[in-house]
Order: sequence, then structure tokens, then C-alpha cells
Amino acid sequence: MKEKALQVLLVEDNEGDVRLLREMFRGERPDSFELTHLLRMGEAEIHLAKGGVDIVLLDMGLPDGHGLDTVQRAHAAAPDVPLIILTGLDDEALAAEAMTQGAQDYMIKGQIESRALPRALRHAIERHRMQIDADLIRMHQMQFKDEFFSHVSHELRSPLTAIRQFVTILLDRLAGELNPEQHQYLEIVLRNVKQLQLMIDDLFEVTALEAGKLRIELQCCSASDAIVYTVNTLQEAATAKAITLSSDVGCGLPSVYADPARLRQILIILVDNAIKFTPANGTVKVQARILEEDPNRLLLEVSDSGPGISPDMTERIFERLFQASDLAVAGRKGLGLGLYICKDLVTRQAGQIWVKSAPGQGSVFSVALPTFSLSDLIAPALRRDGHTADPITLVVTEIGSRIGWLSEEVRAKISLPVRDVLRRCLYSDLDVLLPKTGVAGAAELFFIVALTDGLGGEAMAKRIRKQLDSCEPIQQAGLILSTSYRSLGPIARKASESMEDFLKKVATELQELMNQEISSRM
Amino acid sequence: MGNKKILIVDDDPDVRHGLQVRLKANHYDTFFAVDAVSSMSEARKCEPDLIILDLGLPAGDGFVVMERLRQMHSLALIPVIVVSARDVRANQERALKAGAKAFLQKPVEDAELLAVIRKALGEPAKRERPEVYDLGSI
Repeated sequence: MKEKALQVLLVEDNEGDVRLLREMFRGERPDSFELTHLLRMGEAEIHLAKGGVDIVLLDMGLPDGHGLDTVQRAHAAAPDVPLIILTGLDDEALAAEAMTQGAQDYMIKGQIESRALPRALRHAIERHRMQIDADLIRMHQMQFKDEFFSHVSHELRSPLTAIRQFVTILLDRLAGELNPEQHQYLEIVLRNVKQLQLMIDDLFEVTALEAGKLRIELQCCSASDAIVYTVNTLQEAATAKAITLSSDVGCGLPSVYADPARLRQILIILVDNAIKFTPANGTVKVQARILEEDPNRLLLEVSDSGPGISPDMTERIFERLFQASDLAVAGRKGLGLGLYICKDLVTRQAGQIWVKSAPGQGSVFSVALPTFSLSDLIAPALRRDGHTADPITLVVTEIGSRIGWLSEEVRAKISLPVRDVLRRCLYSDLDVLLPKTGVAGAAELFFIVALTDGLGGEAMAKRIRKQLDSCEPIQQAGLILSTSYRSLGPIARKASESMEDFLKKVATELQELMNQEISSRM
Repeated sequence: MGNKKILIVDDDPDVRHGLQVRLKANHYDTFFAVDAVSSMSEARKCEPDLIILDLGLPAGDGFVVMERLRQMHSLALIPVIVVSARDVRANQERALKAGAKAFLQKPVEDAELLAVIRKALGEPAKRERPEVYDLGSI
């Protein structure tokens, strides 16, 4: 079968170079290459966008484009077409850099052997094809792996269920008495079953994470609560290994803007790892403080006296399926998903995670999360031109139960539908539905900050009441609703005041008003 | 008054057996079905006070069973507790919507299962309340 001629696009403004390059194709069969020559980058972009080009020979010094810029533009115009850079002897370093930007190869003008050019083109095209194939295969593999994880973790649970059932039946002596040795061995079986179960949970978690199924609800939450919870949960495991687990949480720590359940999960993974890798009689400590470099971030630190991590591993340990290969680490390693899950959860909450460590000197895992800031939340509305003198109204929706107390389950159940209703009741994007502020009290409170006066507040409150009256989950649960509003009146921005100071002032007044609303219901 | 009757619908014989031992020890009488079809006939025959239902079953899954139960006048009010190895996120809400009183993921903590059963049967709680379960609106 006759091969189609390879379509070569040559982008070069030096006529002499063009002539030399054309010369190099002379030895080839006339139907094997078809050369199109253009002088400018702009023309090349249009030509590439039309498609049909198999490979580009690109000069990096054109009248309308220079250096890496030309590479990026060519790559953007036709991301799937391989590129070979033509460069002078003095620009070799730049050409080498171009390869990191997606170029397949570079050739130095004046040093190209005439027979070498067509061969280099064919090779570049072939290499590029192989790369695309490899990418495709990798993508399929990832997809397969996700489905596989999901399937496997489901299938593993069933036999594990039976094992657990019968071990506990024996332990509870439902099948007769046990001697102390038998009892001890069964405890070991149960402990291992639980370990296996946690690994399967991790598999599920990762599958959900990567399929984007995980829901994260940012709200104002307490980092110290999460730390206390984590230390309490893992204290027993630490004691069993003779490790001292402690926490040091400063007073007056600001709240963070995070998902409380996910925050606990992050700390559990970090502290659990620290306990796992720290030898007996060691220490694990959890600390929290404001980040020095950025007072709008809270730093959570988990430090241990374990074997430490070598410097070249401090990035890689957050990779999926990473396993410590260090033999000094005794015992089992798990699946290598914990830190990967951790990093993903932190990143999704606009945070950062990193580790500082040296072999033999323990490790410090740090998580920085944004602190909760009312002024940041209302900033988008008030920052707009002409809105710094608008009246502000706080609309409060209260949901309570007839017996006076809402259980956590009910709170969790109604939160989303109520939020959806409230969001629909906002007048415009100048109104802000505040995230949950961690209110402790008999009722669940929802706050809206609206740029409107009392009349607007009354209208909004009416609308919310009407909408919530027909909200099914609330009706079903037989809950009590009330919506009220309080106007702050205009808080004018003084001429001398910076925008940040003004926002802080408004936020302080709003916070005070919210505190009043909260305490009146305690 | 005699023991309460619980119908266990699960296609895994070991899981059925384990549940039987555990429930018997807590003074429940147990009955079994292995798929969607036999669960209906068995439910009509033994008239259980409660059904423990797996989701992945041969010949129609647990959701089909719940739907059919709801359509049968005599069976519609029997409380159902779903015990499944399937993903909580994807199935819990759906199961509760379909009428289940609770969704528990396999492997289940015995104390949790028993507490959920007692609550669904309106019996007084014996042990501490378990941490995580959702009994919907009962």
C-alpha cells in the first residue's frame, strides 16, 4: 500500500536556512514528504489549527514570536502535533528547555546532516505516537484500577463479614467456654480483621475521592475540637505501644474554614501514622497555632519521635500507593493510601500539607488551613463599587423541634435541604448565605447577610417562611420554623478608612449581632 | 409472649449462619431467604416482626424486595434493616428513601446491629447507644 506523504510544516523566516532545509529532502522519494513553508508564527498558528500537519519544524526567532513563546503557541494551536525546534549554536540551552514545554527534539542549524533530517522527522513522529498510546493506556489503566478498587473492596467485605461474625460469636462464648489462650488468639484475629476492614475503607475512600463523589461542606469549625477528638480516639492505640500521645492547643485559637468531619479524618490519618511508625516509649504530639508567615492560616502539626523520612521521600510519601521501603520500619505498612487521602482532603479545603523530617530525627507533618473570616465572606458583596454605604440586614432562620432539642442526626439531615431553600431565597449575589458557624444550642440557626434595608429584610423573611413551609424533609420531621431579621443600618466607609478596615468593622458588628441571636436561644 | 421473629435475606450462607447464632443468643427466632423471590414467599409464610435485608441478591436486588414489600398490604409495615457491603454514600440515602429503617455497612458491629434491631422493634435499649446509625423517622 502506498503511504501517505508526511505533511511537514516549516516555520522559518531566514530564506537561506529554508533553502538548505529543502535541499535535505532532495534525496527522499517525492511522495514521502510534503513541505509547507511559512514565515510567521501567526500564519503557522492558523495553518496548524486547520489540522492535517504531521510535524512542525520551528525556528525560535520569528518576526512575530520569539523563544519559548513560539513553542507554547505552536503547542497550543495543535497539541497533538510533534514539534522539532531549529536553533542556532548559541541557543542550545533554550532549545533543550523547549523540550520540557512539549517539543519532541531540537536540531542545531548548520550541523544537520542532510540524510539525518528526514530520519529525525520520522523518529519524532513515531515517538510522539508511542507517547500518545502510552498516555491512553495509562488512562485506561487508571479507569480500570478505580473500577477494580470499587469492586474488590465490595467483594472483600462479604467474607470479612462472616469472619468477624464468627470470631465475635466465639469471643462472646456463644459457642461454649474458652480458655485464656484461645481467647487471646481470637482477640488477635479480631484485631487483624479490623485492620483489614480499615484498609478496605481506604480503598473505598480513594475511589470516591477520585471519582469526585466526595462532598466537602466548608463551615466555621473548631480545630481544637478536632484535635481533642483525635487524641481521645487514638489514645488507647498509643498506650498499647507505650507511646506518649499529647496535644498542645493554645488558648483563643481562631476557627478554621473547613469540613469538621474531614478535618478529623485528616488528623486521625496523621496521628495514626505517627503512632504506627514510632517505636515504643516514643512520643507523638499534636499542636496548633497561627501560621507566622500568614495570620489568616492556622497551622496544625503532628510531630513524632519516629525514624524520620529521608529528604528525597518527603514529596513522594503523599503519592498514591506509596510504601515506605525502609526496613527499619517494623511491622505492617498498610496500603499506602492514607497520606494520599490526607493530601487530597487538605487541598480540597484550600489548605497545604507538608512534612519536615530527617532520618533518625522524627517527623513533623504540617497542615495549614484558612481561618474562618466573616469579613472575607462578605467582602465580595461590599467590595463592589457603590455598596460601601448600603444598609445591611441580618436574616436569621431558626429550626427547632417541639421537644426543644435537635439531635445531631436531624441537624445533619435538614441542613442541606434548608440551605438549598435559603439559597433560592437570596435576592442577588450581593446577599451571602453564611456557612454553618458551629452554633451549640437547642436549635439550628442559619444566617443570611443581605445588602438591603428593613423592608427588604421583611420581604426576604416572608419568602423564606413560605418556601420552608413546603419543604418536605422539615415537614416530615415535624420541626418548628421561624425567620426574623435585624437591620444594621448603613455602616458608611470613612474616607480615610482602608477597605480591609471597613470590612473588619462591618464583620465585627455582624458577629456581635449573630452572637446576640445565638445567646438569646441558649 | 414468644420471641420476636426476624427474617434474614442474604445470599451468603455463612453470613446467614453467623446472624442466626447471634440473634438466637439474643432471643430472636430466625428465618431465612436467599433471593428476592424466596424472600417474599418466606415473609408471607413466617410473618416476621423485622427483616434484615442484603442489597446484592440474585434475581432482583434488595431495592426490588423493599418495593414489593411496600406493595403488599400485609407486609408493608414490617421494619426493614439493610445490611450491605455496598458503598454507604451511594446506597444509604436510597435505602432509607425506599423505606428501610436503617442502613448498616458490612461488616457490622454486633452491638450496633442489636441496638438498631431493638429500636426498630420498639424494644428498650440494652446497651449504650451506638455512635453511627440512621433510623430515619421512627
